[in-house]
Amino acid sequence: MAEPVTVTINRRAVSAQPGEMLIKTAQDNGVYIPRFCWHPRMNPVGMCRMCLVEIETPRGPLMVTSCTTPVSDGMTVDTTNPTVKKAQEGVLEFLLINHPLDCPVCDRAGECPLQDQTMAYGPGESRFVEEKRHFEKPIPISELVMLDRERCILCARCTRFSEEISGDPLIEFQERGNYTEVNTFPDEPFRSYFSGNTVQICPVGALTATPYRFRARPWDLTFVESTCQHCSSGDRINLQSSQNRLLRILGVDSEPTNQGWLSDKCRFGFEYVASPARLTSPLVRDSEGELREASWGEALDYAARALGEVISSSGGRAVAGLGGARGTNEDAYAFSKFLRAAVGTNSVDCQMDDGLDPRLLSGVVDRARIADLESAGSILVWGPDLKEEHPTLYLRVRRAAQELGAGLVVVHPRATGLDDRASVKVTYRPGQGGQVLSELMDGAGRMAEAREVLSKGPVVALLGRPGYGESPDLAEATAAFVRSLPDARVMPLARRGNVFGALDMGLSPALLPGRAQRGTLAAQMLADRWGELPASSGRDCRGILEGLESGGIEALVLMGADPVRDVPDGELARRALGNAGVVVAIDQFLTDSSRMADVVFPAMGFSEVEGTVTNIEGRVLKVNRLTPGPGQSRPDWAILSDLAGRMGVDLGLVSAQQISGEIEELADIYRGVNWERLDWEDRDGIVVSGDLGYVPVFSHVASVDPRPGEMALHYARTMYDDGVMMRESPSLSPLAPGCAAHLHPSDAARLGVGEGDPVDVKSASGSLRAGVVIDPSVEPGVVYVPFNQPDTPSLGSVLGVVVES
Amino acid sequence: MVEIRSPSVRRGWSESVRARASEIVKQYPDPRSAVMPLLYLAMAEEGYLTDNGMREVAGAVGLTPAQVRAVASFYTMYKRENPGRYLISCCTSISCMLLGSDEVLGAIEDESDVAAGETDPEGLISVEHVECIGACGGAPAVTVNYELIEGMTTEKARELVRWLRAARPEAIVGAECQELFGGRRSFDWGPFDRDSALGPYPAFGPLGTVSGPAGEQDG
Ligand code: SF4
Ligand code: FES
Ligand code: FES
Repeated sequence: MAEPVTVTINRRAVSAQPGEMLIKTAQDNGVYIPRFCWHPRMNPVGMCRMCLVEIETPRGPLMVTSCTTPVSDGMTVDTTNPTVKKAQEGVLEFLLINHPLDCPVCDRAGECPLQDQTMAYGPGESRFVEEKRHFEKPIPISELVMLDRERCILCARCTRFSEEISGDPLIEFQERGNYTEVNTFPDEPFRSYFSGNTVQICPVGALTATPYRFRARPWDLTFVESTCQHCSSGDRINLQSSQNRLLRILGVDSEPTNQGWLSDKCRFGFEYVASPARLTSPLVRDSEGELREASWGEALDYAARALGEVISSSGGRAVAGLGGARGTNEDAYAFSKFLRAAVGTNSVDCQMDDGLDPRLLSGVVDRARIADLESAGSILVWGPDLKEEHPTLYLRVRRAAQELGAGLVVVHPRATGLDDRASVKVTYRPGQGGQVLSELMDGAGRMAEAREVLSKGPVVALLGRPGYGESPDLAEATAAFVRSLPDARVMPLARRGNVFGALDMGLSPALLPGRAQRGTLAAQMLADRWGELPASSGRDCRGILEGLESGGIEALVLMGADPVRDVPDGELARRALGNAGVVVAIDQFLTDSSRMADVVFPAMGFSEVEGTVTNIEGRVLKVNRLTPGPGQSRPDWAILSDLAGRMGVDLGLVSAQQISGEIEELADIYRGVNWERLDWEDRDGIVVSGDLGYVPVFSHVASVDPRPGEMALHYARTMYDDGVMMRESPSLSPLAPGCAAHLHPSDAARLGVGEGDPVDVKSASGSLRAGVVIDPSVEPGVVYVPFNQPDTPSLGSVLGVVVES
Repeated sequence: MVEIRSPSVRRGWSESVRARASEIVKQYPDPRSAVMPLLYLAMAEEGYLTDNGMREVAGAVGLTPAQVRAVASFYTMYKRENPGRYLISCCTSISCMLLGSDEVLGAIEDESDVAAGETDPEGLISVEHVECIGACGGAPAVTVNYELIEGMTTEKARELVRWLRAARPEAIVGAECQELFGGRRSFDWGPFDRDSALGPYPAFGPLGTVSGPAGEQDG
């Protein structure tokens, strides 16, 4: 950090970092300068002139915009003298010339910076008697955003956001002078994954979000801070409700995670909470084989009896559990304790056969933090398209490459959202990952440039599974290689909201709460509290499904898991559930999986339970409750505790907060992490470190070719899909791209198909019919099919598929 | 790179126009700097700037169509509506105005029967008034298809309109028009050379000279 300089603001000397803008220095020292266009997370433009202040210069006082004036030593500033006041009044009078003043019918009224600042700094009256300019009242610029150009004050916040931050400038100033307006290209809507941010930062009511328009007045809203659970970044959000109904989510500027931004999935993907399809009562399968409503007592007895029978005939190891990555740590802990202490099984997995080795995920040595991206010399992204699966992390990587000068190498089977910022982009055919890795390690030929970029430390590597055809060993082998790069840190990627918390709570066969491995001292301490731990080693998700299919496992407990839709090989999951003797589901909906259960318990979920979650870097954050759960729904932990009770085991769980205390006590690394701290002084979260120190193992990943006549399948997720939360959120569900087969133009020509023509894609475990998208970004011989789209069967984690017209 | 999927397959530029576009892009260190000359190319191609043309320009320079339209709609010389075959632009900024541009414009409107901002029903002549075209020394000035004529008078303006109607020239060449209709020039333009005159739009070599298109002659 450079030497601070001294600036005098309103006769008070304050110190500031040189180069910092005056408006920020003033704000940090308690002097608020009104502004519209300046935003602390974007570059200044000096567009609105609201922030005028007077500084002393050798030639006398000078009026400057404080958002574009860097502080310098000895600067003297006045933000309140009569000249400044007059300027502020003038600017506001100008800004209001064309503003329609339709506050009574404007959503922004009550929380509108233009309204507030006019009250505080504006003139009482306008001298403008001429005709204001007129535009068609709000026009939709996308499925989610409406634009009222009459209200716009042309501050360029929205256009700057989409260019500087999200990198999809689909809105821009059009025309000139008095005719200037924000707009899209006539037939290119503002279809950005991040469009909702522009609504949040628009200082007037020009941009409004379709899902929230006319739903509430700001003064009617109750709110609480919480953490988003759509992906594992741990984005801080503000939940807002009226009359017990969740109505809006805003991003909270939390330095370590989302820095104020949210994806539209985080922002609008809450409507499912109030869906009429939510389960409100327990269900049990009756003698006709139909699920019918039952009382809690009946359902608990039913489930306890069914599980008890399996345990007494075949032992606890014949029972398995799946799920837990969507809820809180407290619920995950209860699930872990239930399965291990009440049932007696280690067969539990919170990943859906789509992830990485849990030891790598939560225990890798030199694990990266998100903040490491800020100081990275270079970044390697080899995994899912971050824009689709880790949207706010995508913004952080984008920022690092675009604003902070980090080199960026992206390796992926097709175009990704980061390509335009990548110093080197490597596109390859799925199955060839091993080959690409060894080329990268040699650093010869076409990889020379990539190695050159990655020679600049510190290196941050974000590694995950690019698609489901690819072996999970690839990410681990890459992690092992990355350790040879300068100051390298690794961030293994897994996407589900609280998958890292669930792993920390032991929802994986080999892990116990607190990242303890079975057979260690920590495990012994746990056994002292939990009672004897199951001795046999457990199975992971795939093992569990195969066990259910073959009969080695007889009963399954699902907690917020939908393996039929969520496991790449959905057909395997369907067969497994069909073959299971007993399936007990704790869920918010009847999903394709819980529909196959014998007992279904209605669960409370997001915005209905309080607890903690752990994000991708091991940061523990608080989630809070704002709305009541529907009907008779209950929190996961309470259901599990009652179920164990009916099975004759007292888990000793009395409340989520008590469980949090138990975690603190038993999981060494969670010591000192408690709700009080997270609610108050540590709202940005507390990173739990104390890694397993797991050193990734390098293994040679063989390159696999599809068989003759087959094409290599790239099977990967998109932001919007047919997961139950998206399906039950009416604003987002139409945005799923739908079933499609992306083909290289040469393959399309070979097959004789054009854009939109149907083709059949057949794999060993399923087949589907999809419309062709001509996609020059995939390699020849590759077909990209988005995973889990509406009305689409799954293809499985296979490499080769046959594509026929 | 922005992910934009065209909802349908659209009519695009021909290969030869794309080739010219990439020639122009190569002249700049950063492709997006080529947006303005390419907009002229798009105009030359279709007679005016269509959505299609702007989309092609966006593709060629790596911007989104919205960004390209932002540039195109800022400058009045990019026409987004089909002008007549001859576009007469009469400067009405200060120098020209002091030396009688209002009368010149009036004469043009009267002779052509086309009001400023409009095109005749035949699609032959469009008339507009424009801000300073940088020819103040030769005020009052007009351009025809962006080719400059300085030292205009009302009589000459009428003659010009009549000539356009009658002669219907293939290409407008400033030097020739100046000879026929112009008066005092701002400075000596030097001898006229067809092979270096860059019509039909100014200043962009790859678009071709008055003698023909740049590079290979394409139909
Ligand atoms: S729409 Fe809102 S954010 Fe965008 S320029 Fe207008 S006032 Fe600013
Ligand atoms: S805030 Fe400084 S000009 Fe807008
Ligand atoms: S004022 Fe007419 S050319 Fe400058």
